[in-house]
Amino acid sequence: MGKDSTVAIDIQNLSAGYDKETIIEDVSIQIKENDFFGIIGPNGGGKSTLLKAILGLIPIQKGSIKIFNRLPEQGRKYVGYVAQYTEFDKNFPISVWDVVLMGRRSIRGYLPRYSSTDKQEAEQALKMVDLLDFKHRHINELSGGQRQRVFIARALAGHPRILLLDEPTASVDTDMRETIYRFLKEINKKITIVLVTHDIGVLSSYVNRVSCMNRYLFTHDDDRYISTEMIEKAYSCPVELIAHGVPHRVLVDHHQKKEKEKRS
Amino acid sequence: MNQIIDLFSHLFVQRMFIAGILASISCGVIGTLIVVKRVVFLSGGIAHTTFGGIGLAYYLQYTMNWMWLDPLIGALIFACLTAVIMSLPLVKSRLREDSTIGVLWVVGMALGVLFLNWVDRNEIIVQDPESILFGNILLIHFSDILLMGALVVVILAVTSYFFKDFQMLTFDEQYAKISGINVTVLNFILLLLVACTTVVLIKVVGVVLVIAMLTIPASISGLFTKELKHMMIYAVIIGFIINVIGLFLSLWYNQPPGPTIVLTLGLVFLSALIGKYIIEHIFCKNIKRSAK
Repeated sequence: MGKDSTVAIDIQNLSAGYDKETIIEDVSIQIKENDFFGIIGPNGGGKSTLLKAILGLIPIQKGSIKIFNRLPEQGRKYVGYVAQYTEFDKNFPISVWDVVLMGRRSIRGYLPRYSSTDKQEAEQALKMVDLLDFKHRHINELSGGQRQRVFIARALAGHPRILLLDEPTASVDTDMRETIYRFLKEINKKITIVLVTHDIGVLSSYVNRVSCMNRYLFTHDDDRYISTEMIEKAYSCPVELIAHGVPHRVLVDHHQKKEKEKRS
Repeated sequence: MNQIIDLFSHLFVQRMFIAGILASISCGVIGTLIVVKRVVFLSGGIAHTTFGGIGLAYYLQYTMNWMWLDPLIGALIFACLTAVIMSLPLVKSRLREDSTIGVLWVVGMALGVLFLNWVDRNEIIVQDPESILFGNILLIHFSDILLMGALVVVILAVTSYFFKDFQMLTFDEQYAKISGINVTVLNFILLLLVACTTVVLIKVVGVVLVIAMLTIPASISGLFTKELKHMMIYAVIIGFIINVIGLFLSLWYNQPPGPTIVLTLGLVFLSALIGKYIIEHIFCKNIKRSAK
């Protein structure tokens, strides 16, 4: 924060969606290196769509996205991604180890085998999420939280400079949720993190910048804060805020950006 | 025992045996990918359109006197053509996949029937349509073995080169895409491999029963494995053993080989399911007991 740092993700006037339908409109945001950036918003508000646009999975309708000054297709090799719910066949025959190794694919390219470096990195990533002992387990023999950590390890194995997480704790119990967030805070020293979540409480204690997504992106002038009005705008109804963590960071008076207000 | 050794001295039994091995390898490897990716119906579509290709080959032999055009080549062309159509961006984005498969499936079959109908059977020796549909491993020629062998080499080479990528594609296509894999091309390659596999299997079990060979050995093996590679290897072994058993049963009871093999596969699958259930049931009880 504060100091000038490189821009990791630069989004200018972005509109994106599926086919002819626009889901997110006129989003502009700069995420700086080593930010822990939180995005909240109601279901269907376009949070996941924004992440998918950053990853180059859906076409951009208007505006631009740059990842370290590159287009998404070239820039996404710097990006690790953890989906909200990785949809897979639970009978799929695959071990934890093989899943984590997949994270090396973006670096390895079309070579038929993983190198010893790949294996070391995968092992390192598994160690980081504390699951090295589960290496040979089948992916379905893990709990929801462990499985989510495997997917985080997969994202980390590729040494990303940016980590995108789409509600990483949606299917995880409360204790594990804390563990995962503390872990994210730890790796945030080296990696820029963009986190989509419903968990407003978590935002106040771990995130250093935040914005609300509901078709448009609502940011506070000083986007370290969440304001009630901002959230109400995004969720289009009053939301009761129960915040914990560092108290002075949570709710402050706020000035909404005028042009956004007019538009919505 | 002597009877079995005697059997193997026959040339046709040897060919049958080799064809069985080739069929098991291709169906174990590609069948596994099809089963985990859940594109069995798509593969069925590709298999059935080959009937049109076989018909066309006979028709061209008859009208153009292209005797070199082996029906299996016709089948291969039609199978690959189906793979191409299914992969066209226009088809993929505009049409429902299962409807497209359904259309190609029946059009291929209908073409086959018409083409065969137009051939004068007095001039061209046409394989009995029943044996095209349900297979007759006893009618395999040496040239068939050569083509099947070449296709199996292609299948093994491509699959082992792209194995890791196929693993990603079938497990989590979105992540594969993010990781820089061209999923459109890789999906197309997979369909071409399915086309090759279909052609390898046609002589053994026939057009209609190809799905059985593609899915059942892989499904049985999938019940007992935790890794994709093992699933492939076990599927090859299981496929081969059941193939041989089915063949001997068909010779013994003088029944058509294709259906006999398929029924044997089905019976083993059912027993494996029941077996697995029993093992897990007892095993789980033991765990609960030891936990107490």
